[in-house]
Amino acid sequence: MSQNLLHRFWNIISSVSVRAKILGMALMLILLLGAGVTWQVLHSLTYIVQSQLENESITSARDLAARAADPILLNDLVRLQRLLVETQQNNPDVRYAFILDKNGDILVHTFGAGFPPDLLTANDAGSSEHHHTIILQTNNELIWDTAVPIFNERAGTVRLGLSDARLRNAVQSLTIQLALMIAFVSALGILVATFLTFLLTRPVRELVSATQAVAKGDFSPRLARWADDEFGDLAEAFNAMTTELGNTNEIRQEREELRRQLLEKVIATQEDERRRIARELHDSTSQNLTSLMVGLKNLQDSCSEPNIENQAESLRRVAAQTLEEVHDISMRLRPRILDDLGLAAAMEQLTREWQARHKLPVDLVIHIGQERLPGEIETAIYRIVQESLTNAARYSGARSVSVLVERRGEQVIAIVEDDGRGFAPSLSPNERHLGLAGMRERAELLDGKLTIESWPGAGTSIHVQIPISASSLEEIKGNL
Amino acid sequence: MRNILLFISLFLLSACMVTPNIQPSAKVDLTDLQPLPTPSISETPLRVAVAAVISPKGTVESYSGLVNYLGEKTGRPVELVQRRTYMEVNDLLETSEVDLAFVCTSAYIAGQRDFGMELLAAPQVDGGTVYYSYLIVPMESQVRSMAHLKGKVFALTDPISLTGRAYPTTLVTQLGATPETFFKRTFFTYSHDEAIYAVANGLADGAGVDSLIYDYALSRDPALSGKVKIIHISPSFGIPPVVVNPNLRPQIKIELQNLLLDMSNDPVGRDALTAIGVEKFVIINDSSYESVRSLLDGIPLLFGLP
Ligand SMILES: Nc1ncnc2c1ncn2[C@@H]1O[C@H](COP(=O)(O)OP(=O)(O)OP(=O)(O)O)[C@@H](O)[C@H]1O
Ligand SMILES: [Mg+2]
Repeated sequence: MSQNLLHRFWNIISSVSVRAKILGMALMLILLLGAGVTWQVLHSLTYIVQSQLENESITSARDLAARAADPILLNDLVRLQRLLVETQQNNPDVRYAFILDKNGDILVHTFGAGFPPDLLTANDAGSSEHHHTIILQTNNELIWDTAVPIFNERAGTVRLGLSDARLRNAVQSLTIQLALMIAFVSALGILVATFLTFLLTRPVRELVSATQAVAKGDFSPRLARWADDEFGDLAEAFNAMTTELGNTNEIRQEREELRRQLLEKVIATQEDERRRIARELHDSTSQNLTSLMVGLKNLQDSCSEPNIENQAESLRRVAAQTLEEVHDISMRLRPRILDDLGLAAAMEQLTREWQARHKLPVDLVIHIGQERLPGEIETAIYRIVQESLTNAARYSGARSVSVLVERRGEQVIAIVEDDGRGFAPSLSPNERHLGLAGMRERAELLDGKLTIESWPGAGTSIHVQIPISASSLEEIKGNL
Repeated sequence: MRNILLFISLFLLSACMVTPNIQPSAKVDLTDLQPLPTPSISETPLRVAVAAVISPKGTVESYSGLVNYLGEKTGRPVELVQRRTYMEVNDLLETSEVDLAFVCTSAYIAGQRDFGMELLAAPQVDGGTVYYSYLIVPMESQVRSMAHLKGKVFALTDPISLTGRAYPTTLVTQLGATPETFFKRTFFTYSHDEAIYAVANGLADGAGVDSLIYDYALSRDPALSGKVKIIHISPSFGIPPVVVNPNLRPQIKIELQNLLLDMSNDPVGRDALTAIGVEKFVIINDSSYESVRSLLDGIPLLFGLP
């Protein structure tokens, strides 16, 4: 139970903000101090007031007794009554006073008409007693009632009641004053604590927003050193950290840029090289092979020796097959059609050949308009689709494949889908598996995005999206 | 924030709730006022008045023996009655509110003349039934006679006191003046011992006092003898008597008279007598007061008596 309570208390304490904690601390201190002081003051005051009342009651009663002796003995009731009135006038705390003769009958009293019957017997002092004081409870006040024998009770007894009403009122108004004081100090405390928390939490709040900016990659925020304290040190440390991070980030970005340029260069070089080899194969090797074939045909025609004729015939056939293979290689290295007729034609040729080779239907849809796309985008899309198709053929075991290439406004979208076995794409590039990573690399080099959606048993969908930058469009228009 | 407010109010409340931890011994309702019961008197007491020659407390102390003695012998409760002035005691006697009274000589003269106040007995002091008026002044005073007191403050005892007022007045009259013009200021002390103290303390430059009370006071408070001195003694006057009201039943009067006369034969009675400075009570005649009566007749206006 108490553990639970403690736990909950702790929860409340730890969940509130620093502002609330400091405020609570200040208030708690003020209130504790205030309540303590108030309690102490009231306690002592009440004690003092009580003993004061008792003393006053005794003094007044004894004084009255001393002065009442002669009038009683002389039966001077007028003077006796005047004595009571004077006593009451001199001390407003005197609630009542009355004098009994030696037989216990009331001679004079201050009640006017009538007399409270219980009061008479409530207190009594023996003839030898100096005084006898008791505390009486009336409807709304406490009364210190003192009985004092007059002239050793030979003349009677004085009874005098002192009310605590006035003193209690004084104590009460003091209490209210103290309470108001505490309330005032509390209000002041709240103000000061609020100001203090503002001072304390401002650097923290600034630190939080700066940290959030840094998390978003903005290393520019710098914190002001508000005060020469721990928060100031923290701000400085933070500033040093962001500066360092900013520098590192710059270096990283430079390296990234360098890598990107390198990659671009490598890819461009690779494409150029392929293009050159393909052209070489086409222009030189194919021509030579064709010349070889023509020569062999002539040899065959001009030679009557059937043995040689047969040999020339088989050589010509080998040459024709080699020519076809060279054509094939050149085609796969870099289809001329991509450079000459554009992406749409190249895609059609690619899928047609792939279909023929793998005996799988490909559903090709192309919507890119008549306009040529920037060369590097055409190459990238072509290579990505080419690799996707290769993978589909190698791994998916699909029964059909669909390829969509589409231009949507300022970007080109390509989607290659198969209905094969699918896989769990891990994005970390592997030494031996460079295909997917290469696809992504190509897309990102052109500020594009590549997503692979695949899970085992549900086919694979490769989705690539490359923006067509304004500058590259200008370039194309200029070329045309 | 609400929690904080709750805390504040709780604290303030707890601070205000510190109340005195007092256990009243009784509860009374001071607003419930009821008429006072009339005191029940079981038996008509014998009421004895003593003229205030000494202070009320002193009177109670001195006369309590006598009061008790009378109560014991008559078998009736005895009530001691005191009044501030001689006149008030005379009034009580006239209206039969007291039965027996110790009065001043001049009060007797007035009472006898006005309503037939009756003599019962007289105390015997120093073997006689006479007393004097002493003219006293402070010990260090240069005054040697009444003439020297002109323009001074004079303490009078009671308006109808023989020794305290009437005799000093005749002295002043003999000097051809009235007390009002002769003295700078006069005041009444109402009892003789107060007059002695007034002189002793320098409150008054002179006073006329009862010789019996002066001697008695000095015997009780020897320190006084160093503070006051007598500069003049009057001729002898009939001693203040014990009187009864004229309506008292004769049997009771006789009974009381016998009781008083017999006191010196009783040990308790003797103690009571000693307490009031009296040797015994004796019969006295009205003729013993002739000299006083003629002295008072010389200054009739003084008393304002009809
Ligand atoms: N369409 C697909 N269907 C099923 N599995 C696929 C498909 N495409 C890729 N995979 C799986 O993902 C792996 C990685 O493919 P990736 O193209 O990166 O490498 P690779 O083809 O093995 O080698 P590389 O392409 O470098 O010659 C493949 O080994 C294959 O298991
Ligand atoms: Mg691959």
